[in-house]
Amino acid sequence: MIDSRYKHIFLFPALLVLVAIIIFPLIYTVRLSFSGWDINRPGLDSVGWANYARALVDGGFWNSMGTLYQMVFFCVLFEYTLGFGLALLLWKQVKAGRFFRLLFIIPMCVTPVVMAVVWKTIFHETLGPLNDILNWFGIAGVPWLSEATPAFISIVLVDVWQWTSLMFILLLAGLMSLPKEPYEAAQIDGAGPIRTFVHVTFPLMAPITIGALVIRLIESSKLMETIYAMTSAGPGSATETTSYLLYIRSLREFQIGYTASLSMIYLVILIIALALFAKLLSRALIGRSEART
Amino acid sequence: MRGARVNLYSGLKYGALIIWAVFVVAPFLWALSTSFKSDNGVTGGATYIPFLEYEPSLEGWAALFRDTSSGGISMQGPYLASLIVSIVSSGIALTLGTLAAYGLSRFTFRAGPLRNSDITFFFISQRIMPPAILAIPYFLLLQFTGLLDTHVGLILVYVAMLLPIVVWVMVDFFNTVPTELDEAAMIDGCNPIQAFYRIILPNCAPGLVVAGLLCIIFSWSEFFFALTLSFAKVQMLPPTIVILNSNKVPWWSLSASALVSVVPLVIVAFFLERYLSRGNLAGIIRE
Amino acid sequence: MKPKLLLAAGALGVASLIAVGGVSSASADTDYIAKYGIKADVPGMCSYSSIDAKDYTGHEITILTHAVPVMGEPAALHSKQFAELTGGTVNVVHAPFGELYQKVMIPFQTGQHVYDVVYGGSYWIGDWAPHLAPVPQKYLDLAEMKDATAAYQGVASWRGERLQYTVDGDRHYFKYVRPPFEDAENQAKFKAQYGRDLEVPTTWEEYAEVATFFNGWDWDGDGELEYGSTEIVQRDNIAFSNFITRVAAYAKNPNVTGGFWFDLDTMTPQVNNPGFVKGLEMWMAALEYMPPGGINFGIAEEIFSWGGGQSLMSVTWDDAFIQAMQEDSPIRNKILVGTKYGASMGSNKVWNRVTNKWDEFETPSVAPYVAWGWGAGVSKYSQEQEMAFDWFCFFSNYANTNHDLLIGRFGVNPFRTSHMDPAYWEKEAGWNNDVAVSYTNMLKSMDTSTNRVFDLRVPGVNQYYTAMMASVSKAMAGEMSAQAALDEVAAEWSRITERIGVDVVREAYKNVVALEDNVPLSAVK
Repeated sequence: MIDSRYKHIFLFPALLVLVAIIIFPLIYTVRLSFSGWDINRPGLDSVGWANYARALVDGGFWNSMGTLYQMVFFCVLFEYTLGFGLALLLWKQVKAGRFFRLLFIIPMCVTPVVMAVVWKTIFHETLGPLNDILNWFGIAGVPWLSEATPAFISIVLVDVWQWTSLMFILLLAGLMSLPKEPYEAAQIDGAGPIRTFVHVTFPLMAPITIGALVIRLIESSKLMETIYAMTSAGPGSATETTSYLLYIRSLREFQIGYTASLSMIYLVILIIALALFAKLLSRALIGRSEART
Repeated sequence: MRGARVNLYSGLKYGALIIWAVFVVAPFLWALSTSFKSDNGVTGGATYIPFLEYEPSLEGWAALFRDTSSGGISMQGPYLASLIVSIVSSGIALTLGTLAAYGLSRFTFRAGPLRNSDITFFFISQRIMPPAILAIPYFLLLQFTGLLDTHVGLILVYVAMLLPIVVWVMVDFFNTVPTELDEAAMIDGCNPIQAFYRIILPNCAPGLVVAGLLCIIFSWSEFFFALTLSFAKVQMLPPTIVILNSNKVPWWSLSASALVSVVPLVIVAFFLERYLSRGNLAGIIRE
Repeated sequence: MKPKLLLAAGALGVASLIAVGGVSSASADTDYIAKYGIKADVPGMCSYSSIDAKDYTGHEITILTHAVPVMGEPAALHSKQFAELTGGTVNVVHAPFGELYQKVMIPFQTGQHVYDVVYGGSYWIGDWAPHLAPVPQKYLDLAEMKDATAAYQGVASWRGERLQYTVDGDRHYFKYVRPPFEDAENQAKFKAQYGRDLEVPTTWEEYAEVATFFNGWDWDGDGELEYGSTEIVQRDNIAFSNFITRVAAYAKNPNVTGGFWFDLDTMTPQVNNPGFVKGLEMWMAALEYMPPGGINFGIAEEIFSWGGGQSLMSVTWDDAFIQAMQEDSPIRNKILVGTKYGASMGSNKVWNRVTNKWDEFETPSVAPYVAWGWGAGVSKYSQEQEMAFDWFCFFSNYANTNHDLLIGRFGVNPFRTSHMDPAYWEKEAGWNNDVAVSYTNMLKSMDTSTNRVFDLRVPGVNQYYTAMMASVSKAMAGEMSAQAALDEVAAEWSRITERIGVDVVREAYKNVVALEDNVPLSAVK
């Protein structure tokens, strides 16, 4: 690391842009959260902590946090597991490996909300192919978008379809950069594929696992576009995530001041949760002595 | 015996790969088939094969570039707008972000107790903000600067959104490039800036490509700000397609427009795969 | 010699000029019909030829309208025509229905002028009122404008001023497929099962019986299953309108004045009174006789489903009916509308919120819902108001409206007295006489009814409706009982009223009560 007066030239342009375009709006949101900007009272007045008090007992808001937690849990779990599995399959030389890799990377590159709209037609109960195909196997059609659990599943399915490829590519890159020595040692020890995985591959991949999980958790916590396109948080509020709720409250109902306070609460909770998760995972996978900050 | 076991394992492996491949491709195939349908191919139940199960029609594709006054989608304007905004914002983000990443990788920064890794984390944590929170402040910010409903305003917002990605990719990329190179350059009399663009940058092509391609993907696919920050003059592609989901949903033009809009992204995917498969992401995700 | 020749040449020249001029003016008139596909250019201030005479070169207006096709397509079409005729520039911006509200409100509230003309639900008038320019008198004096029925003129007004330009009129009404009712075998089976004759239902209870009877089997012999009823239930789509239709007969009492949604005196929400609850309970039970996935039907699904002959009955918008009467529809001319007592299902019992008892009615009491319809207005911040009003004038001139009414997907529905003439539908649309008469009788009945229900057209209506549908959809999904859901709604409505300001809402609600009670605004205390 060098210290030099040139260092500022490198960092500051980006930092400035970020501060102007994200920090300012953030500060403004904090100010908004103390105002009662509503459909009839546009403008920044001051209502003290009233918004926060209301937020603490807002059932819809906390429900959406619960729904978000469940969705993110299942999405990331499946994406990680499937992504890892696919990466392992394509790690060593495979016939048409290049073809599969290219194919598998496509879902994460295409516009999520546009594909969600296509998926919506697929999930259509009477006119869509999914129920049609299930019928071929004698399975009754599932009310994909009109009942709580199937709707939840369909959102998770679309998210998994889209983002497993991200986990796949990250984990594959990680696998390909692993050193050879431990494997040679394991082979000498006569370890089978499962033991090799558990004792060699997985521990070596720990930092990458953490990185990939944290990245995916951050992105999936913003789950909103898929829901916007497919279920509009329905049926009832079965698929209502916090992002979607914030959108409705602020832009459809115009409770701008109140939603700002919800946003603040949400941000604080999320930052703490993610930081905690990263730390705990680090400890668990890497061990106390090697844990990074 | 051994041969049989290997064959079974092989069979399972390819089986799994093929199943996942089918899952990946299915929506695209469905969209392709549906884009050639018309009323009769949709309202009677799911149909798949043209000519066999339904009469194909070009209505879905014809509507794409037809004007809205005759019921079309008029896609060319938004397509171009998305293209330009994506490329420009990616370019700017790439420049600023790479500079910042190099700085964070090579120099020590200190702001009280905060060090380099904290600043890097600060950049990356901007991704936690859900767009819904920022919609109103951005609206006011852009209105204040007179950039509301302009492409420039949207580019500005996108740059802020993309910077974290560039920094994330490039910091770790730079960390894997040995400092001997720039030290050697500076011994030769270059200042850090010259060292940067003469020596280091040419070696970073893979990292830049990956970061750049990711930027294009994220900005092209951005939906929320494109929806809420555009009023009259700015029309971006994702909202134009999703708007079709509104009333009488025309499955055929919906599918056709979806396919057309993701074609550039598939091309991007192709290049991304090529660069990523060289193991270029190795250091990137070690946080 | 020469002067005579000159004179003759001059005369010939003048004569030919006159002839050419005459020919061109005649062909200019026919040009409109040939060029724009209208039937006839009805003369007036807004006719094609009048607009053609105007010159707006160098002027520009921006229109915000709904996505194609509903309202979006006619808006784009007539904008293109207007631009051609006047030389002005007309930009048309489309937005999905869910986004229309904020796309308009944000610029309004922040003083940013973006759109000259805005489209939206006419029930947003409470929120938009402070920002719309009143329609100038010369347009109000137009024949086309005066021809709009009193109900739709009322819907476009706020505090006595006409703020919305009437371009559409919507309603919810009962429509049904006729042949199954007339089939002898069906009649016999029905009688055996229910002990009464199979007749077109007039109450929601009868509706439920008939729908259940016809649910889940192939009664039209097309090889597909049919169902009892198609309705709009999907939350965040426009399901609130179907909720209103369902509760109206039970909760709107012809003998009670002073508020349907709120008690005007105390501003206590009425949404959880037994009338509303009964309506919701009937709706929850109705899921049994809706097509699969019915709970997720938005208006698009409803149009395709009922319009394609998938269900027997429906009580919703015009669109499905017009769709069903298109040339290629399997049920064209086999459908009718309305009951013998009115446009919608009625009830023998209506809740009286003043006496806290159910009132009994020998003949079912019907409370038709004058649904919101598309409301459009000129922004008062527009710099081109004259051009904008001329645009409206052109959009809804006789020629264009007569053209648009016949195209189901355009979303333009009858709102003028002249539209209630069966001859128009028979001649222009090729409807059978019985269908045309049935339809126009229904339109007239809604126009003359004194027991109508209107939307909650007050500031903050989106908050009220969102709260309402959030809980109602939970009840529909079986997560809670109707009473519990509506109690939740009432509690939230009280909070919303507090936040917006009880006096603000009461003042606004008076406008609605005037419509509900069929009295002028000044008579509402």
